[in-house]
Amino acid sequence: MTDLPIEERVLHYFLAMGAQPVESPQNAPTGLSLILGQEKVHVVILNNDVFLLGSKIIESIMSLISLRDSVNQLYLAAPRLLGTTVEAEIFRSHGIGLLLYDNRRIDEAVAPQTFRLRGPEPTIPNQGETLLNELAALKSMYLQMERDVSKLREELRGYQKIMNSISSVPERIPSSSLLPQESGYAGPSAELPSFFSNNPWLEVLSKRGREEASPIAG
Amino acid sequence: MTTDNYRSHYTFAMDFGTSDFKFGPITCGETPKIVNNRGYFPDRKSIMYRAFEPTADIIVGEDIPQYLQSTEELATRLVYPMRNGVIEKGDETAWQVVGALSRFGLTLFKHEANNGFRGYYVVASLSSVSPRYMYEELLDIFKENNQDGCVQAVTVIPQPFAVAIGHGVTTCVVIESGHGNSQICPISKYPIRAAQVALNRGGGDANTITSELLKDAGYSDLTKEESLIRKVKESIGLVPADLDTAIQETKRAPRKYRAKYKVPGTRVEIDLEKNSWSRFLIGEYVFNPNHEIFESYFGRGMPRPKDVKMGDIIFRGMLDFGDATIASVERCPVELQPLLYREILLSGGNFSWRVPEGLEKAAVDAPTKVKLLLRDKGIRNVSVKMTKSPQFSVWHGCIIYGFAVPDEYEWDWQRLEGWMKLSD
Repeated sequence: MTDLPIEERVLHYFLAMGAQPVESPQNAPTGLSLILGQEKVHVVILNNDVFLLGSKIIESIMSLISLRDSVNQLYLAAPRLLGTTVEAEIFRSHGIGLLLYDNRRIDEAVAPQTFRLRGPEPTIPNQGETLLNELAALKSMYLQMERDVSKLREELRGYQKIMNSISSVPERIPSSSLLPQESGYAGPSAELPSFFSNNPWLEVLSKRGREEASPIAG
Repeated sequence: MTTDNYRSHYTFAMDFGTSDFKFGPITCGETPKIVNNRGYFPDRKSIMYRAFEPTADIIVGEDIPQYLQSTEELATRLVYPMRNGVIEKGDETAWQVVGALSRFGLTLFKHEANNGFRGYYVVASLSSVSPRYMYEELLDIFKENNQDGCVQAVTVIPQPFAVAIGHGVTTCVVIESGHGNSQICPISKYPIRAAQVALNRGGGDANTITSELLKDAGYSDLTKEESLIRKVKESIGLVPADLDTAIQETKRAPRKYRAKYKVPGTRVEIDLEKNSWSRFLIGEYVFNPNHEIFESYFGRGMPRPKDVKMGDIIFRGMLDFGDATIASVERCPVELQPLLYREILLSGGNFSWRVPEGLEKAAVDAPTKVKLLLRDKGIRNVSVKMTKSPQFSVWHGCIIYGFAVPDEYEWDWQRLEGWMKLSD
């Protein structure tokens, strides 16, 4: 197993977890790109020469951070000896996973943080058209309100004229208008024929049986 | 105005006039339904009667013309029950007609017992000279015919009283003149029955004198048709302000007063020519048959209007309207008499006399004639008017009476007023 290059071994590590290799995103640092379940994973692998080029660790971390918008999980695979010199907290604080390897095994020293990819802006379907419709409805309501208010003003003027023409003292209701009422029937009152108007007999007859008969009546 | 809701729908009036029966509920408005006040008794033995569907024993209303047969039959089978204003006590056929007309009227405006309907308040109107047995007979008819409960309560009032109510005058004298007779009845909130005067003279007598005039003018053949005589009377008859003056005026300007009548739809034209002055006799005879000129007609066979006693009332034949009015008013208290003269109302078809344009010098209308007759007797401060609606004033008065008289005012046989309850 130890004869295989580290790149092959890391690939086998992820393939064993069910990942599948995919093409690397544009501008991604050299490494492995994989799909693990629903997540996109990118792994940057440091060789033993990392100890000779100290700045390479920082460069690798920085390049991984730049992939946050396009990859869900980021890993840095480094020789186990590096683990003794690098603070694991640096990786945690940036959400980057750390894989440490030697000739015999590969171990996950720091679990990566899963980044939520910022997808394309959700579009509001027909947003402009909806707004226009709402505006048109509001305009129509406003015009209707204006018409209603004008009508109410006219009616109010009419009522004011009537009120001005009515005497402030209510007229006395003539007793001749007070006719016997029957109980037990609540049907609508019909309009009476014209020969009822101002007829004095209505009062005279309504008193029948409640007064003495005229002495001259035959 | 507070109104009696129930009776503003269900008051029903029936005016049994001498010629027409006017009836209908308050909802008819200004004008009631009218049919002839008559009934036809079909000949049950005739082939026509047997051939068709069984018909009623008596036919009333608009269907009568369909059943009429020969002219000879009309006298016996076509019955006008109120022709003289009074029905004889034993005249069963006349009462059958009255019963059939009452049923006919109520059936025409039948209401189902829903929407609160619990029977009409019916006000029937009879001649003011109707004796008590007529009230009894009529009320019995309503009792017997009320199996379906379409009448809640019924009452009967005299026609002149109804006229005063319809006209809206509470103190007055009503002169009602129909086909067979005329009645003068003072009213002071109640009809003053003791002061009534009845005349055995009406529109029928005007027809009689018209018939005599047609005979004199050579139109004897036309005098058998009563409807034609009536049309001639209405067309050429005039009421003179003063008969002697009118005759002189006519003789002075014969063309102007010439009486001509063309019978519509025929070739017949009646022309009184040089006798056109006689057109004034038609109106004069109604108001005053005492002029000596009428003696010649009586002498030649025209029946003189006689005094007749019907029930307790004497119908005066020859009393003129002036004397009759005075006789009636003078039976009332003295202090009431001036008030009565101030409101004399004329009602009935026999007062519908026209004054053709240009003839105003000699011809007058009925109110003027009555006023002149009273003036001749020294009564001057009078007001004589036609009722607002001569044809329907009785019906109007009955409707108002039925609407206004309290429900609890029960029928009183002494006063002949109030409600006789027929349904609970």
